[in-house]
Amino acid sequence: MLSLRSVTKRYGALTALDGVSLDIARGEFFGLLGPNGAGKSTLMSLAAGLRSPDTGALTLDGVVITPAEPCTRTGTGLVPQSIALFQDLSGEQNLRIFGQLYGLHGYVLRERIDESLTAVGLADRRHDPVKNYSGGMQRRLNLITALLHRPKLLLCDEPTVGVDPQSRNAIFDYLEKCNREGLTIIYSTHYMEEATRLCSRIGVIDHGKILALGTLDELLTQLPFEEEIVFPATPATGPLAAQLRADGEVATLDGRHRFRPRPDFKLSNFYARAEALGLPPRQFTAARPSLEAVFLHLTGRNLRE
Amino acid sequence: MSVILTLVRKDLATFRRNRAAVAVTFLVPIMLIYIFGWVFGLNQKDKGPTGIRLAVVNASSNPAAQKLVEALKADPAFHVITTTENPDKTKRLLTEEDLRPQIHDGSYRYAVVIPADVVSAAKIGLHLKIYSDPRNDIEAQMVNGLLQKTLFSNVPQLLGQSLQARAKQFLGDGRFEQFNRDIANTVATAFGGDPAQIQRTIESGNFGLDQLKQPEKPADSTLRRLDDASAAAAAAPSGALAKEVAPAVTSSPSTTQDFFSQIIKIDQEQVTGKNVKSPAATRLVGGWAIMFLLFAVSGGAAAFFDEANTGVFQRILSAPVSRAQLLWSRFLYGVLLGLIQLMTIFVMGQFMYGIDIMGHLGNLIAVSIFAAACSAFGMLIAALAPNAVAASGLSTLLVMVMSATGGAWFPTSFMPEFMQTIGKFTLVYWSMEGFLQVLWAERTFVELLPTLGILAGITLIVMTVAIWRLNKKTIFQ
Repeated sequence: MLSLRSVTKRYGALTALDGVSLDIARGEFFGLLGPNGAGKSTLMSLAAGLRSPDTGALTLDGVVITPAEPCTRTGTGLVPQSIALFQDLSGEQNLRIFGQLYGLHGYVLRERIDESLTAVGLADRRHDPVKNYSGGMQRRLNLITALLHRPKLLLCDEPTVGVDPQSRNAIFDYLEKCNREGLTIIYSTHYMEEATRLCSRIGVIDHGKILALGTLDELLTQLPFEEEIVFPATPATGPLAAQLRADGEVATLDGRHRFRPRPDFKLSNFYARAEALGLPPRQFTAARPSLEAVFLHLTGRNLRE
Repeated sequence: MSVILTLVRKDLATFRRNRAAVAVTFLVPIMLIYIFGWVFGLNQKDKGPTGIRLAVVNASSNPAAQKLVEALKADPAFHVITTTENPDKTKRLLTEEDLRPQIHDGSYRYAVVIPADVVSAAKIGLHLKIYSDPRNDIEAQMVNGLLQKTLFSNVPQLLGQSLQARAKQFLGDGRFEQFNRDIANTVATAFGGDPAQIQRTIESGNFGLDQLKQPEKPADSTLRRLDDASAAAAAAPSGALAKEVAPAVTSSPSTTQDFFSQIIKIDQEQVTGKNVKSPAATRLVGGWAIMFLLFAVSGGAAAFFDEANTGVFQRILSAPVSRAQLLWSRFLYGVLLGLIQLMTIFVMGQFMYGIDIMGHLGNLIAVSIFAAACSAFGMLIAALAPNAVAASGLSTLLVMVMSATGGAWFPTSFMPEFMQTIGKFTLVYWSMEGFLQVLWAERTFVELLPTLGILAGITLIVMTVAIWRLNKKTIFQ
């Protein structure tokens, strides 16, 4: 459906996208996972037709996407990273304006506005100015605004930034429903939990390059270990973490150490060292590795660095 | 086109919801025009300043001096203070010694002393003393002007007395009396009347200057100007003399200007603007209208950045909308809002000051459309400035400079020639020209075309530069 062929985009000396080739199939829920500045938003803006690539081409169903041809953008919907709404206008007025920009009018527009507002629980606040909505409500409106014209491809550029868990789940549920109904979605995020929950296929992007591409299981098989050991990052565990660096990767994030052992490392060695340091075994947990581990393995750094 | 109209409707709806923007666009200019109308005396019921606190000390025994004090009290321009309080709360007349400390402590800012030698043989003219705290020069000049007006309008005989005293000192008592007697006899011979009564009138200093303010009096009252009492006995002057004197008497109220205008007679013919009911208001309203139009469209520049920063532009352009459509919608919105704003302010100008809008509606709308087209100026600001804060500062600077040099605040003829030349490169100047050509000179549409052409040219240049610069920026990406 969406095809990128050797797409490069530069901003002065910075190469935001570096020869990216990618195919997104119809009905796919594709996750674009990478840290800030990896090139996710640039890829999204190229797919939305806001920018032109310096080299290469993007096509949607065989039609080249370019800013010079606004009509090529009827098949896509963009959910920007920011709340891109008219804050002084009501939710309904926002939907009407954007619907009209996509050529919707009259009964069809009214019906779709009603459906959309009801679907995300905003029907009773439809006449309120957007600036009076909560952050989560604004995010939901931000999302349905991109869907009003029933696009073939939805581009979600980190659509849950700053959203409370309840609203985030509501957005996820709605997106999953739309995907089940056949909508193709590209979802960029730096939250591995979101990519893990939502996406049928994930592309790991960093420094403008797609480093890995596949389903979650396919990505995890690229790791040289099958499980990781997680334990608290405290002064007491510091010496253990230092010793373990010789036997694998030790990543520290959110107050926890994650030890990813080399294939030849025996777990019994781990527990022997911990016991020698007087660390009780109950604080160690063995877990299946996550996308975070994949990213660390591929780039040598954490997603949120 | 429907995309552009949708975007224009969006901008209008956003504007309508923004109460602060509505107030700045419509209420603030109207309020300021109203306030400045009072300042410049444009309001029809306003006849000038009122209630200026003025302390008066009369140290003269001359009856005309007391008459001057009474005239000042009767003038609504002044609130005359002649007494002060003693420490025991009793009241007494002000003395000259009271004035400095009381002006210093802010009791009043102006005081006039009529000294004992208000009329002196030592020199021609009157001797008055004025103490002041002139916080602003204009107010001080205004007070001086009002004092002179009151003086010449009400007690011109003081000036006559001064001339008499000087002549008496110069000629000596005997020759002076002979001199006055000769003049009285000459007048009596020529126009009739009692020579002794005429001589007494001359010696009182009343040469009839105050009579110049009474145009309703018949032309045969020439001698009554010397003395009403003697004129009763005076014979009517010849018809020829009457006809000669009559045109010199204007029908306007007595003022200092009237007095001098009758000494120097100037035939004046106003070629244009004869039918303008409120000339000063016509300029004031036009100037403020165009200035606030520019402020309103400059606010649009900040909105440009807001929409770019919040991703709204990106969202709009991710729809089947071209940059050209987005920019045209902005332009049309600016023209529409500007037209509504200008016409609202002009209609209020008609309501407040009687500016004739309805009589020139078609041409005024035409000029307003072209002036509003200069709202592309807001897009130029957005194109030139790096961010919203810079846009706000830059637009304020440019609007103020253009308004000052373009004649929105005062006629450009008040400025040096080079400034006038610079002013001609501003859209304010040509918008003002357009408004004045319609409302003042009552030009036809064809006669307006050169000015409209220049406004269109300015718009074209501004728009071209704005689009060129905007396309170079990442504001749309």
